[in-house]
Amino acid sequence: MTRKVAMIINEMLEESGLEKVDNVNLSMSLRDDFNLDSLMLAELTVRLEDEFGVDIFEDGIVTTFGEVIEKLERK
Amino acid sequence: MKWIIVTGDSKGLGKEIVKQILSDSEYGVIGISRSNEQSVLELIDMYPKRFKHLSFDLEKVMDIKELYTKHIRKIGPIYGLVNNSALAYDDIISNLNVESLERMFKVNVFSSMHLTKYAIRDMLLNKIEGSIVHISSVSAHTGYKGLSMYAATKGAMEAFSKNTAREWGSKGIRSNCVVPGFMETSMSASLSNEQKDRIYKRTSMKKETDVGSVASSVVFLLSDKSRSITGTVIHVDNGTI
Repeated sequence: MTRKVAMIINEMLEESGLEKVDNVNLSMSLRDDFNLDSLMLAELTVRLEDEFGVDIFEDGIVTTFGEVIEKLERK
Repeated sequence: MKWIIVTGDSKGLGKEIVKQILSDSEYGVIGISRSNEQSVLELIDMYPKRFKHLSFDLEKVMDIKELYTKHIRKIGPIYGLVNNSALAYDDIISNLNVESLERMFKVNVFSSMHLTKYAIRDMLLNKIEGSIVHISSVSAHTGYKGLSMYAATKGAMEAFSKNTAREWGSKGIRSNCVVPGFMETSMSASLSNEQKDRIYKRTSMKKETDVGSVASSVVFLLSDKSRSITGTVIHVDNGTI
């Protein structure tokens, strides 16, 4: 799952002309380390929901890569 | 197929909007209203592949997520949303009834916002530069006795639309409102002829607003012809003053 989520984020970064992130770890911040702004986070939400059937922002804010994985694994 | 969601598809302005959209074979319509399929049989017969009707009570705001994930999403990618359904709870303010007011805000405002949420999410997922159109009302711009609460729901949607446009413009998603004057539909059926005359006298053209003219303005805002128009309102009201 971690690899799949990282792949989706990197696909989005590439499409937006931003640099991909090679070494991903769970403590990385979505905004500061992956450079995702609020609209990109919205896009990530719908892509993850399409892939895993989970809305990661439905019951609160997520800030780190690890929190995303945690939400996806919980359901 | 370019699918457009239209709420309140079974009568009045909504039905006219659906007919005008479907006259272009490029589009399909997902119609949503409380009414069962009987009320839209004519449309189902005419456009069996391009018209889908979903019976749903827009008062049930919390069920919209399921409506989207289990039904709307499976039909196809969303190119447009027309928030047309509305309840009219008309009374003077001193008679305000909270339950009636809440019901109206659920249908006119909360459900419209919720559908916008899922329409935008669908557009993001499918990378579609879609168009959202809310049906407002001239009462949000010119006061009428007894319409303050109804007008407040429309004013809320106009503010929501302008900010939607600002928020999602960079993704090519547009949001606009059409502001109709009084039309001869079931929504104005409770008015007496005298009341209607008084209302029509306040328009430059001294008559009721044509439903077809309102619908074609909606279709224009949905289409690529309006690609540079967002965050605004189009008044279709015979020049109400």
